[in-house]
Amino acid sequence: MRAETNAARLVTQILTGEVWPPLADRNGPRLDADGRAFLLPGMGGVTLGVHCGDPATGYAADHLEPGLSIRHRDPGANMALQFLTCVGNTVRTASGAEGFVIGQHAYVLADLPEEALAEVTVGDPVTVVARGQGLRLTDHPALAVKNCSPELVERMPGGTRADGRLEVHVAATVPAEAVGAGAGMASEFANTDLMGAYAGLSPDLSLGLEGLRIGDFVAIEDADHRFGRGYRSGYVTIGVISTGHCMLHGHGPGPSSLITGPAEAFHIVRSPDANLEVIR
Amino acid sequence: MSTLAVNLLGIVEHPEIDGMTPYRIDADGRPYVPAGDGGVVLGVRLGDPAFGFDADHVAPGACLVHPDPAARHALTAYACVGNEVVVRTGAARGARGWVVGKRGEAGRVIVSMAQEHLAALRPGDGISVRGHGQGASLGVPGVEVLNLDPRLLGLLPLRVEDGKVTVTVRGTVPSRLVGNGLGRPAQMWDLDVQVTPSTPGLAGLRLGDLVALDDVDVRHNMGYRRGWRTVGVVAHGDSPLPGHGPGVTPVLTGPADLLPVTVDPGGEPALSETVLSGAPY
Repeated sequence: MRAETNAARLVTQILTGEVWPPLADRNGPRLDADGRAFLLPGMGGVTLGVHCGDPATGYAADHLEPGLSIRHRDPGANMALQFLTCVGNTVRTASGAEGFVIGQHAYVLADLPEEALAEVTVGDPVTVVARGQGLRLTDHPALAVKNCSPELVERMPGGTRADGRLEVHVAATVPAEAVGAGAGMASEFANTDLMGAYAGLSPDLSLGLEGLRIGDFVAIEDADHRFGRGYRSGYVTIGVISTGHCMLHGHGPGPSSLITGPAEAFHIVRSPDANLEVIR
Repeated sequence: MSTLAVNLLGIVEHPEIDGMTPYRIDADGRPYVPAGDGGVVLGVRLGDPAFGFDADHVAPGACLVHPDPAARHALTAYACVGNEVVVRTGAARGARGWVVGKRGEAGRVIVSMAQEHLAALRPGDGISVRGHGQGASLGVPGVEVLNLDPRLLGLLPLRVEDGKVTVTVRGTVPSRLVGNGLGRPAQMWDLDVQVTPSTPGLAGLRLGDLVALDDVDVRHNMGYRRGWRTVGVVAHGDSPLPGHGPGVTPVLTGPADLLPVTVDPGGEPALSETVLSGAPY
């Protein structure tokens, strides 16, 4: 049964941002986990060729942000943009091309069709139709919803089961050991970098997460994201992989937080098709 | 290669609270006002319980910063645990103390000194830090030293033999409990451990204790590596924030088989005023 929500009570706000340039410093390369220098693109700007459903890792990239990376120039307005934008919200470029938000990473990240992305560049204005913060699953009071557009919850496979639990389909479960940078930050900001997905690096770094795809729904074990991102035994956080390949140690493909609560309030189903592509 | 000492300037921090609301939200959703998070803190000493204060990230002494962001990062990167500091300006001028740890984000150096000197400090006072230790080595291939004044190598509970460094620690923390600080550089950021008084073996955790972080490699940014181990000093106390907790400044990192630990649940903290003043352990 489709999970009931308070979506009818939510309002929509029109927000703006711009495509933010990739940033570097005068020192050039950084070091990977094994101490090798690298200098690779991926973060900021317009990143072409990687979309929902594509592999998250396996690129010569660092902090891969698929599609558009969006910020607002004014610090206060930027925090509103980062906090209020939800996964699944519509974005629009100045030329009228439309896409959807796939997550946050200190930028709002948006996937657009490849031919539309090819026409966008750094500095271009982007409109975000923000709706979703405040969303509740009315029959699941133990669960907190974060960064989720109502449309996403409607289209995610699963829903309220006869036993009262929320059925959620995920492509992977993530052990608490994988949680890296992003621990201790607000659940509405950026995402949780997952370690153990360093495709091509040492096997002693692996936690078996090299098969993740952009847009995959995942279940992070022992993670409580109700009031910020922290460890809590027996809690689960559902996220969506919004960023990809990382070389920097302690970083990796990152889920934006979506639904969090005690494990017994969920019925998790492993499904290789559990991906944000449902929102298209 | 010999190590190099540099004199750095730290400015005593004034605590900051973002925006118009004083509240932070704890791991259970309750609002609180963060007291003790930076600046000059009185009444907290090395050896005090890490869970002993209703405060946020409370450190035993004063935090030093620098108004220029790049100089602040350098101050944090080059200051090492055990470095001597001397107050240069203000009512506490001439007072001496020691670096006991560091904190991340914009960077902070935590210094400990006698309570009467701390009480005379004022945010904005200048303190000179004898930065010394980055580049030091124990001569044990595979095991790296960082953030540690070389003079402490002979004063901490560690033993070098048969190509291994054996360390006595208060306890070990599995990597899944390591929180904020992962993915950041170990010379400029501490690792908060999400432990509580009910975490096995760590109820008695104290400021100045050495702890082992299992499966954590901090050589090139801090992160998970199976079979690795990092040993650090508990430099600040607990935090109500999710993902945060007592802060560990890493001082040794290497493959776990080259860095064995002995757990001593009841002994004195490894880093104490006595040790810092030069008495052998």
